[in-house]
Amino acid sequence: MKRTVGEKLVRSGIRLPLILWSLAVLYPIFWMFLGAFKSNAEIYANPWGFPEEFSFSNFVTAWTEYNIDTSIFNSFLVTALGAALCLVLAVPTAYALERIRFKGSQMLFTLYISAMMIPMVLGWIPLFFLLAQFNMLDSIIGLSVVYAMSQLPFTIFVLTSFMGTIPKSLEESASIDGMSPYGILWKIVTPLTMSGIITVTIMNAIQFWNEYFMALIFLQSSEKYTLALAIDFISNEAQYTNAWGVLFASLVFAILPVIILYSIFQRRITKGMTEGAIKG
Amino acid sequence: MVQTKKQKYLFLAFCLVPTFIMFSIFTLYPLFSGLYYSFFEWSGASNTREFVGFDNYVELFNDEVIPATIWHDYFLVATKVIGIMIMALFIAVALTQLKIKEAPFYRIVFFFPNIMSVVVIGILWMFIYNPSLGLVNSGLEVIGLEEWTRPWLGSETWALPSLVLPSIWAGIGLFMLLLMGGISNISKSYYEAAKIDGANEWQQFWKVTLPLIWPQIKISILYIVITTLNGSFIIVQVMTGGGPNNSTHVMGSYLYQQAFTQYNFGYGATIGVMILVLSLITVVLLQLLLRKERVEY
Repeated sequence: MKRTVGEKLVRSGIRLPLILWSLAVLYPIFWMFLGAFKSNAEIYANPWGFPEEFSFSNFVTAWTEYNIDTSIFNSFLVTALGAALCLVLAVPTAYALERIRFKGSQMLFTLYISAMMIPMVLGWIPLFFLLAQFNMLDSIIGLSVVYAMSQLPFTIFVLTSFMGTIPKSLEESASIDGMSPYGILWKIVTPLTMSGIITVTIMNAIQFWNEYFMALIFLQSSEKYTLALAIDFISNEAQYTNAWGVLFASLVFAILPVIILYSIFQRRITKGMTEGAIKG
Repeated sequence: MVQTKKQKYLFLAFCLVPTFIMFSIFTLYPLFSGLYYSFFEWSGASNTREFVGFDNYVELFNDEVIPATIWHDYFLVATKVIGIMIMALFIAVALTQLKIKEAPFYRIVFFFPNIMSVVVIGILWMFIYNPSLGLVNSGLEVIGLEEWTRPWLGSETWALPSLVLPSIWAGIGLFMLLLMGGISNISKSYYEAAKIDGANEWQQFWKVTLPLIWPQIKISILYIVITTLNGSFIIVQVMTGGGPNNSTHVMGSYLYQQAFTQYNFGYGATIGVMILVLSLITVVLLQLLLRKERVEY
């Protein structure tokens, strides 16, 4: 079919907003990277352009004087612990809900799923005192538990739908060969669900790495700060210290792991998130 | 299966009980005891907790800040739903229907802000709105609209509307993908039939695409509403902290302020109950409102 002049015009007219929006997305991120290499004087003189020379001093200052190294370590720890705990708790429950028939199975599933829609702010006040009682306030372990629990319903939901796609025959023949249900769960179901486990873990990890508000409530001392809190702190302080370059450098530290994960697992992340939204 | 009943129940307990205990302690118990706390006056120290009945609720109805926070939340809900849906729909249709070569590039770029931390998004946009250095004001100066420049986040009138753009910026990607999924499931034959009947591209959009992706549109709107009511306070907290002069406080950031900076935990819990009730009512009403018959051709 031949395209008319009108159609061609429409086509290029539609491209323009797409190009503009890509600029609106990419330019601030790009600019943040540039800012991290600029001196303070340059940020004021030439805020949105290229730096004259690339200097790493902002990164060094952030690392040595602003305790970004501790915060990065804390963020890694809370991300890894939270994601691991969430899996340990979600895999057996997801399996039982998907494969074993028992009374109340549907009700339990609904209970977990509806927890995804409930605003948790209300729960944060009692949770604060509960953690204080358990000596888990202002602790990375405590925050990891809170994180794991916050993503548990979503994780169970994603894993049940993945397990639903595994053929039952493998489990049945393993059972006939005398394998215990524990063995089936650990040696057959878990490896077969690996794709789902990886997807959901990457998404949980990004979530935990980025999280800000629960960390704000449940952490107090600066040596426990996760990266998000440390950045917020530097940002509030920068109004007086003018340490903008350091702020950009720490933003780069925060965003780099996410960019790396996204460039490797782009398909998994987008697929996981859209499917989570459709049913959630 | 060669398994006794007892073994089966033992395994079931092994799978379900530890997780459920954790869930009860860290999710169910806090939610219910949040309801309970809302009947107390409490500054955090255990010996000062005092039962006050519905006093906190009376205070809630007489608090001048509360109606403003509710209005701010629904303002964000409405502007985000409209902004995100129009843009996501436009992008989704453009990327699926118009055979653009670089479509995967746009898809990857537009989605990325969805996985950025709210802290990073908030700080980036604080710079974009910065009165002296920011892109917005320098852009306005370049095109000769100096009188439009203002301290966006420092102005009581403009701070709240200024929060809409970053939220849309960060939210579009996910809904673009949801809608693209819906559009690519529409069979090509509907469009061919529409073309034979003489429908132009605009008519095809209204008569074929839109009704057939109604389920995805409905899910997207619901999802935006729920996530905004349950989470709008995070971007508020990062970018304005509720200021200037309470002009950007939403329900959640007001709760945070009352409970965790002014130590009115009982009153904070009451605000939490209000958030829960309002978001449940909103979701139910919205579902009734959006219940349009599924179209099948």
